[in-house]
Amino acid sequence: MNTTLQPQVLGKTGLLSELRAFYAVLRREWVIFIRYPSWVIALLIWPLIFPMMYILTARALSGPDGSGLKIFMANTGANDFIGYIVVGSTVWMWQNIVLWDVGFALRNEQMRGTLESNWLSPTWRFSYLLGATGTQVVSMFTFILITALEFGLLFGVRLHGNPWLALLVTLAAIPSIYGLGFAFASLVITLKEANTFVFLVRGLVMIFCGITFPVTLLPAWMQSIAQWLPQTYLIHGVRAAAFANASLVELLPDLAALLAFGAFWMLVGYFTFIWMERRARQTGAIGQY
Amino acid sequence: MQIKTLSQPNFITQLRALYIIARKDWKVFWRYPLNAVSMIFQPLIWITPIYFMGKAFSVNGQALGFAAYSGTSDYMSYILIGTALSNFIMTVFWGMGFALKEDMNAGVLESNWLAPISRPLILVGRTISSLLVTTIISILMLLIAAALFGFHPTGNIWMAVLIAIPALIGLYGFGFAFAALVLLMREANTLVDVGSFLVQGLTGTSYPVQALPYWLIPVALALPLTYGLDAVRGVTLNTETLLPIHLEVLLLVSSMFLLLWIGAWVFARVEKRVRALGTLGQH
Repeated sequence: MNTTLQPQVLGKTGLLSELRAFYAVLRREWVIFIRYPSWVIALLIWPLIFPMMYILTARALSGPDGSGLKIFMANTGANDFIGYIVVGSTVWMWQNIVLWDVGFALRNEQMRGTLESNWLSPTWRFSYLLGATGTQVVSMFTFILITALEFGLLFGVRLHGNPWLALLVTLAAIPSIYGLGFAFASLVITLKEANTFVFLVRGLVMIFCGITFPVTLLPAWMQSIAQWLPQTYLIHGVRAAAFANASLVELLPDLAALLAFGAFWMLVGYFTFIWMERRARQTGAIGQY
Repeated sequence: MQIKTLSQPNFITQLRALYIIARKDWKVFWRYPLNAVSMIFQPLIWITPIYFMGKAFSVNGQALGFAAYSGTSDYMSYILIGTALSNFIMTVFWGMGFALKEDMNAGVLESNWLAPISRPLILVGRTISSLLVTTIISILMLLIAAALFGFHPTGNIWMAVLIAIPALIGLYGFGFAFAALVLLMREANTLVDVGSFLVQGLTGTSYPVQALPYWLIPVALALPLTYGLDAVRGVTLNTETLLPIHLEVLLLVSSMFLLLWIGAWVFARVEKRVRALGTLGQH
């Protein structure tokens, strides 16, 4: 009598089960997102108060008679200083929120002690990051829309260009913004000191990408760093499309740079995740914090 | 049969508890040395865009528009003082509000709550270590900023430190009420971020409050911290102040007692309420 047992997988993985896992992560993230009523505050108040710090500083620098504003307009070529600052600060907010939300997706699981058990389920592990990203993209585009509405209605910011081209530049930036988030999530889970890395990456954007000033005001060595950051092209492209009536042809250099950086960061994000997963299994450090 | 408490809380045990909480936080903080380094550079990173933006508003390095509001064209020194003080604002907000959320997440809030010490004391303890760290970090930040952007105090720095003390103590009262809100809502990140940002924005950490929209100026003038920042800048940079400095100091000291009393009262009420609801350990 043959008594050999055939090893069988308990979970039958397939495209459908992967999609189901992706949906489950997406739904879980959504439930957590709306569980805390403060998300309303985050969506309604954050778009206003973060740019306000820079806008009010700009008002103070303008002086009571607005004389400084003429100098700013001449230096930047901007016709609306509020719109100019809002574009830069919103891009910074976008990258910042992605780093905290997507970048911390795995780290939060690690802190809650659920990462190891999730890791043992028969699903494609990248789904955990993709699921967190899905919710994040929806909330982030709502955030951008609310920013536009609030500044349009409350501060009279008007577009002097093509909003669809501004949207195109924004969409072209998605792969680089989220690719960076994926790479970040994987590094954080290995190196643990997550806050520091958020501060470092968002600090680079804040210093070098010209969120409140034109990059040309930076010293030459800082400008050469700025050209390696996709957010520089995103800020420049959206400002040009929304406030300087730039045409598609004029935006092509920004779009090309954003797509190239997007491909690069998506690959880096994916392969960093693969590397982290292998390393975590070898060292057994996945559940440690 | 006489009921006896197992612990004998007295002044010494309360002090010991404070010391233990602070020591624990100190150890946790230095466990992540990169975080410590990044805390020095964080404020500098935040003000770098203002430095370059100020250049876009200046002619020959002079921000004359700013001088018309504040009485000084040295906008970087003005902002650096505000940044150093806002480091302390952030410490109280994060130390009191977020610390509770951390304890909720770690599942130790209920057990800490059962310890025989005053609960506001737990909150104060959570800020002691971070206040020490913030002081060290703010000094280092000012030294680095002086080299990078220039920092030119023309007045009395020690007097400024004395004036900042009642402002900071008053902030603790605010922190108690804020911690109560975290206990109720069980969410801290957004509350702490938005709360500290609003306080910084309304009290003029980066600009004179006269630059606020006219409908916000009364709100700014109703916050005691506005006078704290104004008086500190007045004695350090000889800027034009909203009120005579001795009046601003008087306002700060009286508001310090008032805020502490209101904050402690709100915290006690809310804490009693969450215990009645049984939601203390939930998150």
